[in-house]
Amino acid sequence: MGFLSIVPDFIERLGKHHRLLPWLFAYALLLPVPFVLATLFNEYLIDLANRICLFILLAVGLNIVKGFCGQVTVGHIGLYAIGAVTSAVLALEPGGFGGALGFGWPVWLAIPMAVLVTAFAGLIIGLPSVRLEGAYLALATLGLGESVRIFIAVTPALGSSTGLMMIPAPSIGSFVFDSFTSYYYLVMTAALAGIYFSFSILHSATGRAFQAIREDTIAASVNGINVVKYKLLAFVLSAIYAGLAGALFAHMPPGYLHHNNFTVIEMVTLLLMVVLGGIGNVWGGVIGAIVVSIAYDQTKDLIFIFMDRPIVIQPLVFGLSMVLLVLFMPRGIGGWIEGFRRNRRFIRRSEERLSGTARNS
Amino acid sequence: MALLETRNLSKSFGGLQAIHEVSLKVESNKVHGLIGPNGSGKSTFFNLLTGVYQPDKGSYIEFDNVDVTGKPAHYIAGKGLSRTFQLLRLYGELSVLDNVLVGFHPHTKYSPFAPFFNGSEVRRQDQIVKEQMFELLEFIGLAEHAEIPAAELSGGQRRLLALGRAIAMRPKMLLLDEPGAGLSPANIDNLMDTIMTLKDRYNLTIVVVEHILKVVMATCDTISVLDHGQKISEGTPEFVKNDPAVVEAYLGREMEDEDIRAAMNT
Ligand SMILES: Nc1ncnc2c1ncn2[C@@H]1O[C@H](COP(=O)(O)OP(=O)(O)OP(=O)(O)O)[C@@H](O)[C@H]1O
Ligand SMILES: [Mg+2]
Repeated sequence: MGFLSIVPDFIERLGKHHRLLPWLFAYALLLPVPFVLATLFNEYLIDLANRICLFILLAVGLNIVKGFCGQVTVGHIGLYAIGAVTSAVLALEPGGFGGALGFGWPVWLAIPMAVLVTAFAGLIIGLPSVRLEGAYLALATLGLGESVRIFIAVTPALGSSTGLMMIPAPSIGSFVFDSFTSYYYLVMTAALAGIYFSFSILHSATGRAFQAIREDTIAASVNGINVVKYKLLAFVLSAIYAGLAGALFAHMPPGYLHHNNFTVIEMVTLLLMVVLGGIGNVWGGVIGAIVVSIAYDQTKDLIFIFMDRPIVIQPLVFGLSMVLLVLFMPRGIGGWIEGFRRNRRFIRRSEERLSGTARNS
Repeated sequence: MALLETRNLSKSFGGLQAIHEVSLKVESNKVHGLIGPNGSGKSTFFNLLTGVYQPDKGSYIEFDNVDVTGKPAHYIAGKGLSRTFQLLRLYGELSVLDNVLVGFHPHTKYSPFAPFFNGSEVRRQDQIVKEQMFELLEFIGLAEHAEIPAAELSGGQRRLLALGRAIAMRPKMLLLDEPGAGLSPANIDNLMDTIMTLKDRYNLTIVVVEHILKVVMATCDTISVLDHGQKISEGTPEFVKNDPAVVEAYLGREMEDEDIRAAMNT
């Protein structure tokens, strides 16, 4: 176990100098990733890295409502869709291709507006949580999320079956973020900031209120926590993450989005990330997002020939791994991280006690 | 002056009248005992006072000169009414320190969005609060366990933490639902000592439900007795102990609890 401690020890030492140092260190490590990927593998992997960053944002956001606050939601992908379509439509030029709606806003204005709209939608998706729990809440949020996708699929102004095309890329001055590599720096920064802020929430009265509601709603209300307000707040905060991820997805090269990006399969994939990561554990969710995204990418062309017909087995594989995970690893990777932390804490306390007695004798 | 007053407080579950027209006053800075056989409605009474259950029509509850009848639990908590639960209801996965920090929640000064916009202010205020809460933990003897999850504490430590979490709110009044359940007699005496010290230190008014009558008799200024959801007696410990109605309520039915029988006979 000794070598496993090197990384946390190092991070701890950095954090003692300055709170932000570990974060800057991580940022510095992530900067050369596109060049490493392009040199060692190929350009396409940068696109995958970008998608991973978006899914990290989604998973970390979902973790706020599901992990911190304990509220079941299967509507998160619907929020992602709202963020994406809103930002796309706001930024597209009026009278665009195929009758798509367009307002011609600058991209940097369209993104925050889309985040706002999604936050409001999150409030609505959260409303059932005031009355419902568990499976009923899952059904209600699933219905809301899926109806968003269907609405997009049947509305020509929002792309319907052809999708929205030529969504403009963001730019600073004359520099346009229209390549995989340049866009990587946008989404990577957003993902890291998203992780950072999710810890800020967790380690504040807001995060403690969420966790209290998860652990025991009645005790939480008796401790003075307005349960309805904080449940809705959790939904709104997680919607902000989903909205940002969606908006960044819309403007990502090649600037194209389709309602197929927001199906129940995507939702299951997202849930798989959070469950594999360990519900409630931020870093677990991040690792889950990375592992599942790569697995998703590697298995999407897997085809099984049955009676001369090709069958796409990816949904089967993912559904099955979800069931197996819940059965055999219910606490996910986060459970290991927690156990590892607990051991370290225990060892440290025993050492302190030992050195204490040594001094006394 | 009465800090808490109920008038005609009633609650029925379907056909069962769990609390029936209970009128009761609790004076400031006193220790008020609430006793009664199993299922007589003591916990239900606490749940009504703290807004966990909604009272039936015609009930009236006043706390600190404010009508709190039918108000939500977090509102009543904000007025300064705190409690413990018979089954503790600790936040098992949260650390001991976080448990008492949640207890402090009503006094949080920053907005719920502050972690996004004003992280430094959140850290500054949390640091101050954490030091206060650490002092509280030191006082109840849990400081060295501050970082471990509440679920990993021993039974006695858990009872102390439940008490600490309720005190962290800096309440005016504290309702204790069987704080000593499951403890040995010696530990209960310790616990009651701690409670009395806390009462003086934080200037509290206390209502305590306790099965072990010896404990109630020794610490309470006034005792109210519930039976079948009705108040059947009230007065000083001496008065209640000798009230035939009380003896009837306790002895008139089969009892499992040896302690009660023993206490009634002394
Ligand atoms: N939520 C509820 N739904 C239905 N019945 C309830 C509910 N809560 C309490 N009761 C009933 O109300 C009656 C009073 O229960 P309560 O828990 O208040 O008694 P108690 O005096 O606290 O008993 P104990 O000494 O065992 O703790 C019991 O008959 C109980 O079954
Ligand atoms: Mg009870």
